[in-house]
Amino acid sequence: MNKKPIIRFENVTKQYDGETILNDVSFEIESGKFYTLLGPSGCGKTTILRLIAGFTEPTEGHIHFRGKVIDRIPANERQVNTVFQDYALFPHLNVYENVAFGLRVKKWKKPDIDAKVKEALRFVNLEGYETRAISEMSGGQRQRVAIARAIVNEPEVLLLDEPLSALDLKLRTEMQYELRELQRRLGITFIFVTHDQEEALAMSDEIFVLDHGIIQQTGSPTDIYDEPINRFVADFIGESNIVPGRMIRDFLVEFAGRTFECVDGGFSSDEPVEIVIRPEDLEITTPDRGKMKVRVDSQLFRGVHYEIIGYDESGNEWLVHSTKRVNVGAEIGLDFDPEAIHVMRFGETEEEFDRRLEAYESSESGGAST
Amino acid sequence: MRSRNGTPANAYLFVVFLILYAPILYLLFYSFNSGGTMHGFEGFTFEWYQEVFQDTRLFVIVLNTVVIALLSAAISTLFGVMGALAINRIRRRRNRNALLTVNNVLIVSPDVIIGASFLILFTMAGIKLGFISVLLSHIAFSIPIVVLMVLPRLREMSPTLIDAARDLGASGWYVLSRVVLPFIRPGIFAGFFMALTYSMDDFAVTFFVTGNGYSTLSVEIYARARHGISLSINALSTLIFLFTLALVVGYYLMNRRGNRRPGWGAPLP
Amino acid sequence: MTGRTRNFYLIPYAAWMLLFVAAPIALIVYYSLFDIEGKFSFTNYQKFLSPIYLKMTLYSFWYALLITLFSLLVAYPTAYALTRTKHKQLWLLLIVLPSWINLLLKTYAFLGLFGTYGLTNAILETLGLGTHQILFTDFSFIFVSVYIFIPFMILPIFNALEDMNSSLLDASRDLGASAWITFRRVIFPLTLGGVKAGCQAVFIPALSLFMITRLIAGNRVITLGTAIEQHFLVTQDWGMGSAIAVVLIIVMALVMIATGERKRGVKDA
Repeated sequence: MNKKPIIRFENVTKQYDGETILNDVSFEIESGKFYTLLGPSGCGKTTILRLIAGFTEPTEGHIHFRGKVIDRIPANERQVNTVFQDYALFPHLNVYENVAFGLRVKKWKKPDIDAKVKEALRFVNLEGYETRAISEMSGGQRQRVAIARAIVNEPEVLLLDEPLSALDLKLRTEMQYELRELQRRLGITFIFVTHDQEEALAMSDEIFVLDHGIIQQTGSPTDIYDEPINRFVADFIGESNIVPGRMIRDFLVEFAGRTFECVDGGFSSDEPVEIVIRPEDLEITTPDRGKMKVRVDSQLFRGVHYEIIGYDESGNEWLVHSTKRVNVGAEIGLDFDPEAIHVMRFGETEEEFDRRLEAYESSESGGAST
Repeated sequence: MRSRNGTPANAYLFVVFLILYAPILYLLFYSFNSGGTMHGFEGFTFEWYQEVFQDTRLFVIVLNTVVIALLSAAISTLFGVMGALAINRIRRRRNRNALLTVNNVLIVSPDVIIGASFLILFTMAGIKLGFISVLLSHIAFSIPIVVLMVLPRLREMSPTLIDAARDLGASGWYVLSRVVLPFIRPGIFAGFFMALTYSMDDFAVTFFVTGNGYSTLSVEIYARARHGISLSINALSTLIFLFTLALVVGYYLMNRRGNRRPGWGAPLP
Repeated sequence: MTGRTRNFYLIPYAAWMLLFVAAPIALIVYYSLFDIEGKFSFTNYQKFLSPIYLKMTLYSFWYALLITLFSLLVAYPTAYALTRTKHKQLWLLLIVLPSWINLLLKTYAFLGLFGTYGLTNAILETLGLGTHQILFTDFSFIFVSVYIFIPFMILPIFNALEDMNSSLLDASRDLGASAWITFRRVIFPLTLGGVKAGCQAVFIPALSLFMITRLIAGNRVITLGTAIEQHFLVTQDWGMGSAIAVVLIIVMALVMIATGERKRGVKDA
């Protein structure tokens, strides 16, 4: 935690043709971690990457790299390299020359280039492909060439712009493992951009969830999944049931016409809130045993589970993932733990959220935690 | 479809080809006629070819034509590539289209108007009519063609390719010489080739702006043809035909080796 | 790219535009406002409105229209047949090849082909149709013009046909359309852009032909192009020549705007 950040964004705003793409964004990137910028298209995640790479300059604010402001330093003088979404491999050069490109720019000596390129190709399991034309490589192989071309320059930060989006599902999963493994072996910072929440959850140390040019939430995959800060994050990461509710007092919440015990606190009493319950946290039981009664509206078989949609008496929709089959039209009971209920405050920022979390967590454990 | 429409369609194509090639073959055939006219083949002779090769005036004119073609093609390729790069850099669609419209003015303008307006221009500027005026004109009307041949290739190039090169540490000139120019090379070749053929094919513009005894092949053929049929023109045309054929085949093979679509899918005037 | 990079490629290109596009047009407009004695007046335009010039303009348009129409009639089926052949690119190359042979030579060939004792008359004779005066007629003028322009009409139509998604044809047939309806309702509308580009590439040059009129039509047909050439190079009345050129430029711009805008409309639809 005390490590000095390698990259720091200080109130960065980026406007393009009068449109605000990034709105007063500040964050820090530490060395040696796998970061993911996650968000829907147009949320500003690629812009952050382009700002770090130096393809574009901030309209306002500053970008620091190892403590120095790099706002106006052109891309070719920065210590970062990029793996592009379309790989951007030079079609007129073969695999070897693509990988060697950066070293040739730096005017390295031939034997050094040779050794380094071979090493990089070995790193991505592409030995023996040196003389191949790019057009002869498959999607997955091109991906590896693009990675080799970037890492051969020994960047301190590797930027990856949706590099897996062009691959098919199976290869994508495979590459997720490989990229994670590669990051560990290289020990450098990866900043990975994606709109695929599963990808983000699977690979990252830290996720930045972005929407409308603002970082909505920062945290580890489990933090973000379990404690989404607002409706957007809850909705974007995984599937969720989001219903309106009211906080009666700490650890007691009302929704769907009933009161429930919960583990959240730090709200003013009777504050209107939003309730998130993940579909896999809902357990199907008999109507009398459940905490809530729901009438089943539809059911789809999804392979590992059934996806059931039902409505409670107040008309809220509930999505349930269950290995049990139910009958459409039947009334079922839903059971869940107090921990499964996640309460979200309207319009809460990340700092407020963190402060509140810390406050009631320390009060709960009697000030034992630091 | 093919089996049903095949025969009449092919027959039609055959007729079109016959008509397209008839005049050329006709010229070739009579270039060997000892009779001296373009009818009634009397006997085989190389006499007209000898005449062509002994005609020093014609030799000079051929040389003029080739020099003008090569020089104007090279210079207009240089300018055209810069023009294409300039247009490609313009972000606003409207400005880009406006520039393209101006670019295309000389392509769609009738030769007569280009010739006449250039004649005025050179006279006003005090440039003596002859080699310089012809060269300048050919450069001027070839530039937009080169732009049109290079631009699609440039638009085809993913902008991330330039980002990638810069990301890998390449500076502006390095990006241009090692990434952009190699990528658009087929377009540049196509542009050069088109400029070459436009220059060699041009008659009207040259006819207007030439003077002081300076002549190119087209102008010379026109002058001779106005005096009636002379079979040395036939012999000359056979030679030109073979030369053009060699040029086109060479260009075609070069494109094939470069693994690119041949450029004649692209705009002609 | 960052906003800081200056578009310095624009400088030579813009210089070319200024010198060889803007300046010549400005000069020709300027010259059109001076009569033969060098006095500023509108007499040139007044003269243009006289019956002689109006009639000539009308004829010019009429011939250009005929040439365009016949070119289209021949070119469309040719392009269509070409798309159905096995080695399309090769056949296309063969179609385009003659257009790369010097225009003057091809025109010259027709002097022989259409001559009193030429091949055409020989064929007519054999068929028992007797010998005719073919050269120096409207027919020969239009025929040779169509011959010259046909590749320029075939190319854009061929490209438009190639760009068409072939599953659209299947879809049309699937929905019960006959071959003719498919052509009329699907193929032709979708290739209209190519047809317009082709018409533009033929009509404008056809309006200003002068070389073919002189060699083939033997001064029988006087077009706007011939008139410009006459004024500039024979009578030295640059003012009058410029005035005709200005009219031609305006007509050309109108044609471009008309075809251009409609092309955009088709794309949007």
